[in-house]
Amino acid sequence: MVYSEFIMDYSKLRKFHGKIENAHKVEEGKNLSCGDEITLYFLFEDDRIVDVKFEGHGCAVSQASTNVMIEQIIGKTVWQAVELIKNAENMVLGKEFDESLLGPIVNFYDVKNYPMRVKCFLLPWKTLELALKNK
Amino acid sequence: MSVYSTVWSDEEFCNIRNDFPALSRQINGKRLVYLDNAASTLKCKPVIDKMTEFYLNHYSNIHRAVHTLASEATVEYENAREKVAKFLNASANEIIFTSGTTMGINSLVNSLIRSGILNPNDTVLLSQVEHHANLVPWVRLSKFYRYKIEYIQADDKGIITNESILSAKKYKPKVVSVTGQSNVTGQIIPVDYIREIFKDSILIIDGAQLIPHEKIDVKKLDIDFLVFSGHKMIAPTGIGIIYGKKHLLEKLEPFLYGGEMIDKVTFEDVTFNILPYRFEAGTPHIAGAIGLGYAIDYLDYIGFEKIKEQVSCLSKYLLESLLKLDFVEVYGPFDESHLSLVSFNIDGVHPHDVSHILDENFGIATRSGHHCAQPLMSILKRGSKIDFPGSTVRASVYFYNSRGDIDTLIEGLKYIKKFFG
Repeated sequence: MVYSEFIMDYSKLRKFHGKIENAHKVEEGKNLSCGDEITLYFLFEDDRIVDVKFEGHGCAVSQASTNVMIEQIIGKTVWQAVELIKNAENMVLGKEFDESLLGPIVNFYDVKNYPMRVKCFLLPWKTLELALKNK
Repeated sequence: MSVYSTVWSDEEFCNIRNDFPALSRQINGKRLVYLDNAASTLKCKPVIDKMTEFYLNHYSNIHRAVHTLASEATVEYENAREKVAKFLNASANEIIFTSGTTMGINSLVNSLIRSGILNPNDTVLLSQVEHHANLVPWVRLSKFYRYKIEYIQADDKGIITNESILSAKKYKPKVVSVTGQSNVTGQIIPVDYIREIFKDSILIIDGAQLIPHEKIDVKKLDIDFLVFSGHKMIAPTGIGIIYGKKHLLEKLEPFLYGGEMIDKVTFEDVTFNILPYRFEAGTPHIAGAIGLGYAIDYLDYIGFEKIKEQVSCLSKYLLESLLKLDFVEVYGPFDESHLSLVSFNIDGVHPHDVSHILDENFGIATRSGHHCAQPLMSILKRGSKIDFPGSTVRASVYFYNSRGDIDTLIEGLKYIKKFFG
């Protein structure tokens, strides 16, 4: 079941919505099958992600995924975030992953049973991956 | 009369439904309610059985060998062409088998250019409700060949009006290529009026959405080219049709070159086979073409007029039922021009979430997304009174659906509204 209380609550979270003026990095992502768009704004201190906000719209799964992702990566180093991306992606693709790294992200474990929704979950993560690659 | 249908008795309707085994499937513990017919229709046992029989006992390549199997396969293949010709009121040599609507339109655009019919600075007129298949080929090739593209404007509800058709007359288009029915708004486009206004233009009709439930008489409507896919009318995937008027086809340079489409080949040059073979290079989708023929047999058997009536009654009921829900925004026309499909949104709930829960909790198959019509989404956004999510949910009916299916959909939508608060 995808629409758990956790996912519904996180889909409605507003605190990470918005824009960071003078962001060090801005990255846009798009889900081609539904037209959902997301823009991530980053502030870094050296190699550490110190603040992230996002603009855009999407389904409950992509919105919740974005909120949880931002909550988890703030304060982490780029390297730690990359590890998170790898494990989150592996989780929804049904591959091996390190549960201890993911924390509350494991609430999305069931998404792997819905192949058509994997893209919704991955939209913010793929956008993050791109942002960090081009940092 | 039947509780399921105004055109078939209960027994007849049950028999029809039984021909489509998927309709007896359980989806997440519920009876499947299939409302994604505009994307593709379900397949029926009589057609599949006949295709299996063909594949297993009569299959061979066509037109090339003299043995018995080749002869049987060729006869079946050409019979299928005859059936399609009769279905459209055309001649068999005007019917070209292709893989579907997308391939059909790509072939036509390229052939018109290669034949010197569509030239730089000519204008191609499309409408703003075209799906990508009748938009992207024209737009992309215009970058290489420098013809112009203009549009019949849609209003804020995504509707093409007669006024907007008339006002496009000023573009004096060489080619007019429009859909017969919008796959997003469900509007039947007035092809007869378009023909009347653009008497001197080459008229191409994209019949993908319309032809499964509305007979198209190419002679009566004076259509120059018609393209459609079999899979939206219970035939297999990978087979479609290009119809062209004989005198126009004779002027067209083929898009695909290869075997079977030739007359005489030397190391230096080539002459082409007669119609329609010059447009069918290589080994075609033989069983697919034959399957399309069987599908037409089936539609004829249950009665095309009855199909039309059933779809029309169900569409009306679907639209009325959705309009009664105050939390639902419905797009497109609400009048007689509407048929077979409705696009809508639940205020505040993303289409993917709606479609997902309809499937998971109610066994209902709907489509969510931009329906391969991104530019039209921006028009619907303009007219929307809600926070438009950039996409819609679409429910579409075919003759095997019942009013009960629509009642289940409405029940599902009410549940979703409550669930999302």
